[in-house]
Amino acid sequence: MRSKINLYLMEYALNALLREKYKSFFIMSIFTLLTFLLTSVFFITNSIKYELQSTVDTLPQIIVQKIKAGRHYDIDENVVDDILEIAGVDDAVARVWGYYYFENAGVNFSIVGIDAYERQYKKTFENIIEDFDFETLEQTPSMVVGRGVKEIMKQSYYDEYFNFIKPDGSLKRVDVAGVFDGQTQLESNDMIVMPKETLKEIFGMDEMQATDIVVKVKNPQEVSTVAAKIKLIYPDTRIITTQDLQISYQNIFDYKSGIFLALFVIAIFTFFIIIYDKASGLSSEEKREIGILKAIGWKIDDILKEKFYEAFILSFFAYILGVILALLYVYLFQAPILRDIFVGYSQLKTSFELPFIFDLHTLFLVFFLSVPIYVAAIIIPSWKVATLEADEVIR
Amino acid sequence: MIELKNVNKSYEINKNNIVNALQNINISIQEGELFVLKGASGSGKSTVLSLIAALSKPTSGEVIVDTKQISKLPDNFACEYRRDNIGFIFQKYNLIPTLSVSENILLPLVPLNLPAQEAQEKLQRVMKMFDISHKAEAIVKNLSGGEQQRVAIARANVNDPKIIIADEPTANLDERLSLSFIEILKELKALKKTIVIATHDPLFFNLDCVDREIELHKGNILS
Repeated sequence: MRSKINLYLMEYALNALLREKYKSFFIMSIFTLLTFLLTSVFFITNSIKYELQSTVDTLPQIIVQKIKAGRHYDIDENVVDDILEIAGVDDAVARVWGYYYFENAGVNFSIVGIDAYERQYKKTFENIIEDFDFETLEQTPSMVVGRGVKEIMKQSYYDEYFNFIKPDGSLKRVDVAGVFDGQTQLESNDMIVMPKETLKEIFGMDEMQATDIVVKVKNPQEVSTVAAKIKLIYPDTRIITTQDLQISYQNIFDYKSGIFLALFVIAIFTFFIIIYDKASGLSSEEKREIGILKAIGWKIDDILKEKFYEAFILSFFAYILGVILALLYVYLFQAPILRDIFVGYSQLKTSFELPFIFDLHTLFLVFFLSVPIYVAAIIIPSWKVATLEADEVIR
Repeated sequence: MIELKNVNKSYEINKNNIVNALQNINISIQEGELFVLKGASGSGKSTVLSLIAALSKPTSGEVIVDTKQISKLPDNFACEYRRDNIGFIFQKYNLIPTLSVSENILLPLVPLNLPAQEAQEKLQRVMKMFDISHKAEAIVKNLSGGEQQRVAIARANVNDPKIIIADEPTANLDERLSLSFIEILKELKALKKTIVIATHDPLFFNLDCVDREIELHKGNILS
C-alpha cells in the first residue's frame, strides 16, 4: 500500500535545499537568529514577570511612611497602636530597614530588622525565626544573610562577621549566623536580616522610631478604605498600597521592554526584507525548474507540495534550533547581555537566576510569527509561476 | 492518433505586436508513425510540438489525441495527460543540472509515489536501453552534450509513454552523435511509439524510418 505522504517529494525538497546549500544556510542562519532572539525575549520576560509577581505577592498590603518636606523620615512606633484601632485592620508592624553601602564590592545591601516576638509580615522572616535562635542573635549580636550577600562578603574575606560603620564613625561587629533562602531570588540575593535593636544601633535610630509601618487588612477589598482612614488620621504620611507597588514595578518593567522592542523591530525588519525578497519573485533558475517539472508531468499541487516541504523543512528546523539555543542561552547561561536590558529595575545589583518557566503559548506564538510567514513567502511566488503555461516558462 | 484541426496560435508580444505562430494548421498523425516537421527557425515547428504536448493552448482550433480534445484541458489535467502519454525531448534537454543522472530520469515518477522497487525497475530499464547506466550517479552538468541527450531521452521514456516528441534533437550534437540518435529513434519506432520530431537537420530528410514529413514556413504548411 502506498503511503499518503509522498516521501519522494520530501526527498526532492531536501535535495533542493542541499543543492543550494550556501543560500539555504544563509536563510536558515537569519531565521534561527530571529527565532532565538524572539524566544529568548519571551523566556526572559516570562521568568522576570514570574519573579516580579512572586515579589509583589510577598509585599505588605499597606505601607505607612512619614513624610517631611517631601522626604521620607523615621516614624514614631506609637502610630502602630492608633492604626490597630481602625476597623478592618488585622495587624500593624513597625519595620526597621534600610540600605547599607558595601564599599568593597560597590553594592547596596538591604538590611531588615525583625523582632522574634512580633507577628511577621513576611513568610521569609517566619522561616528565619523558625530556623535561627533569635535570642542568641540579639545577644551576640548576629545576622542572617541572603546567598548573594554571603558570596559578596566572602569575596572580601568577611566570612564569619562584618564590621558595620555607625553614623558616629565607630564600628559595630555583627557575626554571620547563617544563610537563608528567600521566597524569591530577587529578595534573598541582597538581603540581610538581623534583630531590630542591632539594626537601630547601626543606623543610629532612636529606640521608639521605625522606618515605616506595614499594615495587614482582613478583607483585601478594604485596603483602599483603610489607607484613606490612615491618611486622615496622619496627614503627614504617605500611604503605599500593594496596587501602587505593582503599577510601579510594571512601569519600570515596561520601560525596559520598550528598549528591547526598539532593537527587536530592527531584527523583524531584516526578516521581512528577506521575506519580501523571496515573495517578490523567483530567480530565473527557480522559474525554469518549475517549468521543467510541469513540462514532464508534475501538477501544480505537486509543485506546491514540494515547495511547501522545502520551506517547511528549512523554517521548522531553524525554529527548533532557535528555540533550543534560546533555552540554553536563557536558562543555562542566564541570558548574558539581554538580561541586563530587562533586569536592574532597582538601584541594587541583582544576580538572581532566571527561573525556568515553560510556556507552550510562547512557543506557539513564535512558531506562528515565523514559520507560516516564511512558508507563504515561498509558496505564493511558486504558485504564480506554476499557474503559467509551462511552454511560456521554459521557452 | 494525433489530429490538429484548423489550429491557429498567436503570441502577444505587446498590445501593438501580435505574432501569428501558426495559421490554420491541419495535421493528422497515425499511431506508430515517425513524423517529421521540417522548417527554418521561427517557422512554427516547436509551437506544434508544444500544442501536441499540451504545454500551451491554441488560440483557436482543436488538438485531438486518442479521441480526447486536449486543447481545452484544464492545467492539472493537461499535466496528467503529459505524464501518462508524452515523452518530451527538448532542444536544450531541460535537465536539472545539479541533479544526478538517475535523479533526473526519475523526476517524472516523483508525483506518482510508486513503490521504490517499481521505480527502480523503470529506471534500470531506460538507463540500460539508452546506455547511460555507467553514469547513473554522475551530476548532469558534468556530462557531455551526447550524454545529456541520452539522459533526456531516458527521462522521456521512463514512464513508457505512447508518444515521443523531440524538438531539434540533433541541434547540439555532432554528426556521429546525431547518427547515434537516429538509431535510438529506430529502436523507439520498433517499440510502436508514435514519434513527432521537429528539425531542420537534413540528416532526417528521406530517412527510411521516417513515415511522413511536412514543411512549415511562417506558420503555414508548405508541403
